[in-house]
Amino acid sequence: MKDYLVLRVITKLLVPFILLFGLYVQFHGDFGPGGGFQAGVIFAAGFVLYAMVFGVASAQRILPEGILRAGIAGGVLIYASVGLLGLILGENYLNYSPLSHVSKEGQHLGIFLIELGVGTTVASVMMTVFFTFATWREK
Amino acid sequence: MADFEGLYNYWIVIVLAMAGLYIVIARGNLIKKLVGLNIFQASVFVLYISFSKVSGGTAPILEKGIDVYSNPLPHVLILTAIVVGVATTALGLALVVRIRKEYGTIEEDDIHSQDESM
Repeated sequence: MKDYLVLRVITKLLVPFILLFGLYVQFHGDFGPGGGFQAGVIFAAGFVLYAMVFGVASAQRILPEGILRAGIAGGVLIYASVGLLGLILGENYLNYSPLSHVSKEGQHLGIFLIELGVGTTVASVMMTVFFTFATWREK
Repeated sequence: MADFEGLYNYWIVIVLAMAGLYIVIARGNLIKKLVGLNIFQASVFVLYISFSKVSGGTAPILEKGIDVYSNPLPHVLILTAIVVGVATTALGLALVVRIRKEYGTIEEDDIHSQDESM
């Protein structure tokens, strides 16, 4: 699809806004509808669009497999360690209140970090699934 | 007539569910079966989201002056179901890729005829 000028220009224009919207959904998730799942998918959709128009190889130059693998594991790690942090600070697992001296601020910080972990994992998994299918060749 | 219009979502659910089920049963192409499965899934999502809607309700976020909000539990359930749906689709596609590699076809009839000849 590299030969289609209109697709190429429109994609170049759209991708930054898709990524920006993904980040908005991510960071606005604790005030309104949104959150890690949706943001991760939107963020991944931006890269999938780029890969479909400019080729998987050029998308994988920005996000090599190693980074995606690290993202998948790292997101889960962020989620689990925020939960354990509550446990270490003397509350239940995934209780965010002790993360800050003000209970409400702690909850804010907690849900922010949790959603960051969810978003990282979902975006990485979606892109890994797409790249795996796209680069598969019959031997 | 008013009942028909009030149940608009549920009619859509029935149509989508039956269309999806028909595709899963009647089509021999494995990719088309997966598409049918996804349509069926979408109907279940619409069903759950429809009956969790409370008329006049807003998003379930604590704020002053908001007493009526939609039931958040089915929404969370469906959020999980969407994620699981993506995972099952990816797994199904991976299986189709493997079947294509092994049999050289994704038509169910051809796969069956090849299996019997062995």
